[in-house]
Amino acid sequence: MTDKELDKALDIVSALITGEEVSKEVNISLYEEYESNGEVYDVVVKIFKKMNINLYEYNYGLYISAGENNKVFGYTNEELKKEIGVKLNRELYLCYFIIYNIITKFYRDSKSYTFVEYVKIEDIITGIDNSLKTVLNDIKVLNMDEVEINSFKEIALTWEDMPIIGQSEGMSRASRGSKSGFVKLVFNFLVNQELLLESEGRYYVKDRFKALIENYFDDYKGRIYEIMKGEN
Amino acid sequence: MAEEYILIRDIIHDHNERMLNIKKYYPYFRLTENAFTQFQGGKYVNLDMGYILMAVLRFFIEKNNFEESDVYYEEYENFLHQVYRRDFEIPLDDEEEKEINSYIFDKLTNGGRPFTYEYFDPVDKCKKTIRMKLIDSRIREDRLAYFLTSEAIEFYLDTKEIKDESSISIAQVLLSKMITTKNYKGGIDVIKRINSEVSRLKIKKNEVLNILSEDVFAGEAAYEEFVNTGIRWFEDEQKLFAKNMELIENALKRVENDDTYISTIDDIYLLETELKRSIIKHSELLNACTDLQVKADEIINKAKFNRLRPSFDFTYVLKKLMENDRADMTEIIIKPLLKLNIKKSFYLNDIDKMLSLKEDKKEAAEKVREGVEEKDYVYEDEVEDRRIQNNYNLIIKDILNLLLEKEEFSLSVLNEYLVKKYTENILKNGDYYSLLVHMCQKNFYDTDSIVEKPDTFFEEYLKEVVMGEEEDIYSGIAFEVMCDEENRQCISENVEISDIYFKVSIRDELQ
Repeated sequence: MTDKELDKALDIVSALITGEEVSKEVNISLYEEYESNGEVYDVVVKIFKKMNINLYEYNYGLYISAGENNKVFGYTNEELKKEIGVKLNRELYLCYFIIYNIITKFYRDSKSYTFVEYVKIEDIITGIDNSLKTVLNDIKVLNMDEVEINSFKEIALTWEDMPIIGQSEGMSRASRGSKSGFVKLVFNFLVNQELLLESEGRYYVKDRFKALIENYFDDYKGRIYEIMKGEN
Repeated sequence: MAEEYILIRDIIHDHNERMLNIKKYYPYFRLTENAFTQFQGGKYVNLDMGYILMAVLRFFIEKNNFEESDVYYEEYENFLHQVYRRDFEIPLDDEEEKEINSYIFDKLTNGGRPFTYEYFDPVDKCKKTIRMKLIDSRIREDRLAYFLTSEAIEFYLDTKEIKDESSISIAQVLLSKMITTKNYKGGIDVIKRINSEVSRLKIKKNEVLNILSEDVFAGEAAYEEFVNTGIRWFEDEQKLFAKNMELIENALKRVENDDTYISTIDDIYLLETELKRSIIKHSELLNACTDLQVKADEIINKAKFNRLRPSFDFTYVLKKLMENDRADMTEIIIKPLLKLNIKKSFYLNDIDKMLSLKEDKKEAAEKVREGVEEKDYVYEDEVEDRRIQNNYNLIIKDILNLLLEKEEFSLSVLNEYLVKKYTENILKNGDYYSLLVHMCQKNFYDTDSIVEKPDTFFEEYLKEVVMGEEEDIYSGIAFEVMCDEENRQCISENVEISDIYFKVSIRDELQ
């Protein structure tokens, strides 16, 4: 490996880390170098592996995300609360739940894209209502002492106790006071994360979203099941 | 002994069910209590919340269940407009009406939150909370639409007749009684209620299908519950429909023979038509339920096949997480999707920690010596003042000495003189230049008049120098100060000063 190849590999790594796109359309020379030069490819893959960053190729583009427990590039819950614009843990978990619902609108499982072109705020509200229906039925009669923190009951109560649209606000305003406002907060966050694209209140998935869903979960499903089992 | 057992069982084990049965009445009493006494100082205390609630519920049932459409806020407003005019005869202007409408709506929807109340469950030996909504909302074609919850419908219907697992069957029994007692008009109302129940079951069927499409396992449970509480009565209901149809046919036969039936002939025909319509609706529901059965099987089969595919099943994982009731663990799915966190910021809570951080656990007390007063304490600005005064006095003395010696000189001569005496550093001394600035405020100074009445800062200092000189050599000196702006002297890089000429104008001693 020559210095030139190391240089190229570092250019690719630094472009991706700083959030630049590397694909057949943007930073083309870097992408071609990665594609055609085996040594550059090896170095890039090695650097990301050592940095605990996952690298994926999808539709002639490169996408990265922080690996599990990456203290340098990962988000802590506090940082995420700040980024999304919520304050309480249960609100953050509700946001996770909303994101999860958005994922399932497009993907039932990591192999089957549902071919849904876009989703709207109201689709997600209905989806959350339906997903929480079993929990909501349970909380029609409820022992308040039994509502544990970090539980789905807590999420369901947070969701159920919000009006669908806050007073004097439209569907398009992001806020913590209403269901539509909450979903909008999450959508804004996902747009910032370059996972979704917004147009006239419709949200479309971007290649980054597809790249991560179709690759990450297949690669790490064993680990995820293991974590879930360990936490039982 | 057995009686005592029954008594206790009734008290303890049936309590939960009783509480659940009365929950639908709770919002009514909550709403009617002091409904309008607090609103705008009791101005509209004549309005009756109980009546308005029942009227609105009936209106919603008409719209939701009979016309099968949602209610928009404007429709609700229009409906209440008629209620105010017709039933309360209260003259309201548009503004007032809007305010009251909004107030009532907020009350009925409880601000979008469920009505809640606590009760003690003697079986679990703990307090439980019951939650119930009357009106719920959803978005239809980018507009907010409202609909009654099934509990609200139950509440409304229960205010007039008994409710059982199949209200259709009860209504049918009631209908039979009405036909036999020749109350055909009342029978028509009962059929309407049957239709409303049929519509409710249709909505319920759609809800089950929605749950099935979102989560197969939860959907399966909802489907089973729906079959147990809704569909299993179908057979009985159909038998009752047939029985009622027979009763009506008998009544129609009697019309031909019995004169007493003639006055009610129109009602009987109407009842027959309504019942036929109801039977059709009921069979439609049966078809829809069969359809649901087929779809449910299809979805469940598909889900089973998907489980065999080597992929990551999001719905299965979510179901597992929900079973374990660990909402926080959704982060293991969400966090890998995020971009790298390259914005590093100082965690704000750390500032709190820093502010509340005490350096020592024990703070040593300062010893105060009583009766000892600090003497000759000099403030920092006094130190500065003294330095300035000292420097000014020295420079003024030098200027006066030079005037006595040369009578006329320029700033460069003065600079040379000062440099010789105090070294080059004098030209970097700020006090020197500030003195020149003070001095240039006037262009003529007479020491005698200044001693009597100093006018500027410079004159104050000048007076001090003149008075301080024991030999009185400076009294009687008058001099002119002329600035030559065109002739500038460079002091250092980027610093210039215009030349100044000093000239004695009257010197008493020389005269």
